[in-house]
Amino acid sequence: MNALYIICGTGVFALLAEVFSWKKWINYVSLSGLILATILTILDWRSVSYRFHGMVYYDHVALAFTALILLASIFWFWMSRDYFKGDEHTTDKSALVFFAIAGAMMMISFNNMAMLFLGIEVLSISLYVLAGSDKTNLFSTEASFKYFLMGSFSTGFLLFGIALVYGATGSFSITTISESTSPLISSAITGTQSIPRFYFIGMLLMLVGVAFKISAAPFHLWTPDVYEGSPTPITTFMSTVVKIAAFSVLIKIFSVCFARYAHSLQLLEQGLMVVTFIVANIAAVRQKNLKRMLAFSSVSQVGYLLLAFSSDSQHSSGVLFYYLIAYSVASLLAFAVINLIEIQKGSASIDNLKGLFKNNPLMAVAMTIAMFSLAGIPPLAGFFGKYLVFTLSLSHGFVALTVLAVIASLIGVYYYFAPVVVMSRPSDETLSISKSDRYLLIILIAINLLVGLFPDLVRVI
Amino acid sequence: MTAYLFYFLSFVAIFSALLVVFSKNPVYSILYLIITFFAIAGHYVLVNAQFLAAVHVIVYAGAIMVLFLYVIMLLNLNKEDEPHKSYLAKIAAVICAGIMMVVLVASLRGTMQTATKSGSEIGFVNNLGKVLFNEFLLPFEISSILLLAAMVGVVMVGKADHTTQPQDKK
Repeated sequence: MNALYIICGTGVFALLAEVFSWKKWINYVSLSGLILATILTILDWRSVSYRFHGMVYYDHVALAFTALILLASIFWFWMSRDYFKGDEHTTDKSALVFFAIAGAMMMISFNNMAMLFLGIEVLSISLYVLAGSDKTNLFSTEASFKYFLMGSFSTGFLLFGIALVYGATGSFSITTISESTSPLISSAITGTQSIPRFYFIGMLLMLVGVAFKISAAPFHLWTPDVYEGSPTPITTFMSTVVKIAAFSVLIKIFSVCFARYAHSLQLLEQGLMVVTFIVANIAAVRQKNLKRMLAFSSVSQVGYLLLAFSSDSQHSSGVLFYYLIAYSVASLLAFAVINLIEIQKGSASIDNLKGLFKNNPLMAVAMTIAMFSLAGIPPLAGFFGKYLVFTLSLSHGFVALTVLAVIASLIGVYYYFAPVVVMSRPSDETLSISKSDRYLLIILIAINLLVGLFPDLVRVI
Repeated sequence: MTAYLFYFLSFVAIFSALLVVFSKNPVYSILYLIITFFAIAGHYVLVNAQFLAAVHVIVYAGAIMVLFLYVIMLLNLNKEDEPHKSYLAKIAAVICAGIMMVVLVASLRGTMQTATKSGSEIGFVNNLGKVLFNEFLLPFEISSILLLAAMVGVVMVGKADHTTQPQDKK
C-alpha cells in the first residue's frame, strides 16, 4: 500500500518539477521513488492484508507481481533515459509514466471492481498519451489514436460485464462475488435458487475486455500497429509492465472471483489460446520490422501464458509469475538493443542489425540471448518458462494443446533466429554504445542466465 | 403510475436512440441523443436516484453534448468525405451486433429483480456521500489520479511543440 503512495507521490512531484524548476533532480527522484517502492513492497511480504474496507488485498501473489513490475520499471527507466531527455515534455512524460505504474499496481492488488476499473483506466489513459508522445512522427499519433479507440471499446466491454455481474450478485467486491456464487450462500443472498443467466454473460464480457488488454487473438488487432508506432521505450513499457498487470487481472478475476465457474471458461480460454498461437506465429514470420515482429511475438507469448492459466487456473500463478519474469527480462533486453539501434540508425528495420556481431559484439550477444530466451533455448530463462508451462498442461492431460504449443514454439524458433542470422552478415557501419547502456545489457543478460539456471523462484508463491 | 411512466420513458429512450443512429445529419443525431439522456435521467428518478439523475443531465446532456457539437462543427463532416465501408464489413458488423443482442435478450429474459434492494433512499446525496467517503474512499481518491493523468495528457497532446514549429522564436 505504501508503495502505491510513493509512486503516486513521485508522479505528482514530476508535475511540480515543471513549476519549481526541479528538472535536474527529476531522474534521481524517479529512480529513488521506484527503488523505495520496491523495497516497501518486499517489506510488506509478512503482512498479508485487506486495506481500505476491502478495496485492495495484498496477498503474496499481488506483492510478488507488484515487486516484479516495479523492478521491471527500474530497468525500464535505466533503458529509456534518452526518452526523457532534451524535450520540453520531460516532466509530463515522467508523471504519466508514474501514473501508469500506479494504475498497474492497482490492477494487481484490487479487490473491488471499482478499483479494477480505475486501475485499468489510469494505466490506459496515461498510455494513450505516451503512445503518441513522439509528435514529429505520424505513426506515433496513429498508434495513440488506434490504441485509444480500441482501448475504450474494450473498456466498454469490461464495464458492461462488471455491470451484469453486479446485477446478478449485488456487489462489486471480489470476495462477495466469489462467495455469493457458492451453492450454499447463493440462495441466501440473491433470494433465488440459482445464479441468473446474465451473470455468465457478464463473465464472458469481462473475459473479452481482459483479452483486449492482454492482446490475445482475436482481440490483438491493435497490438502490431501500436507497438510499431509508439516510441520504442513506450513499446517496451507496454510489453513488460502493462502485460504483467493485465495478466494479473486475468488471474485475479478468473481464478479468485469466478473460481467456481473456472471449468466453464476453460474451453473459451483454450479457444483463445489456439487462435492466438495460429494467428501470431504465422503473422510474425513475415515481419521485416523488429518492433512489429516483437509485437506478434508478445501476442504469441500470451498463448503460452493462457495455456498455463487455462490448464489449472487455481495453481498456475507461480508458473505464470516465472514465465512473466523470463518474458519481461528477454523483452527488456531485446528492446534495449532495438532502442539503441533506432536512436543511431533511425529505424528498427531488421536490416539495420547487419554486421552487429563484428561491430558491437555486446549488443549482438544481448540480442541473441534475448531471442534465444524468447524462443525457449536452454539454459535461458525462457526455456524453463516454457518447460514449466508444458509440464503443467501435460499434468492436467491437455496433450493436443501442448503439442500445438510445441509446434508454435518451433515456428517461433524460425522467426526469433532471423535477427540472429542477419546480425552475422557483414556490414561496415559502426555502432557506439555508452558505458551505462553497456552495464544495463550486461546486468540483464546476467539476470536472464540466473533466472534460467535457478528456476526455483517459482516456489516463492 | 410508475409502471406507465417507466414504459413511456423506455419507449422515448429506445425510439430516440434509434433515431440517433438513423438520422442523416449528425447534428440531429446529437439532439436525439440529448432526448435519450433525458429519458434515462427520468429512469434514475424512478429508482430514487435523484443525485445521479441530476449529475447525468449536467454531465452528459450538458458538457458532453456541447463537446460533441463542437467536434462536429470543427470537423465539418460532409457526405463526400465520409469513408465508404464495404458491404461485407457492414454485414459482418450487423451479424455480430445481432448475435450480441440475441444473447443479451435471452439472458435477461424472464429474470426477476435479483439485486439486493436496500432502502428507498439509496440514491440520496446524503447516503451517497457516506458510502463515498467511507467504503469507497480509496477509489474516490484514486479517481483524482485518473483525472490528473487525463489532464496532463490533454495538455501534452494539445500543446504545440516549439521544436516542431521553427518559426516560433523561443
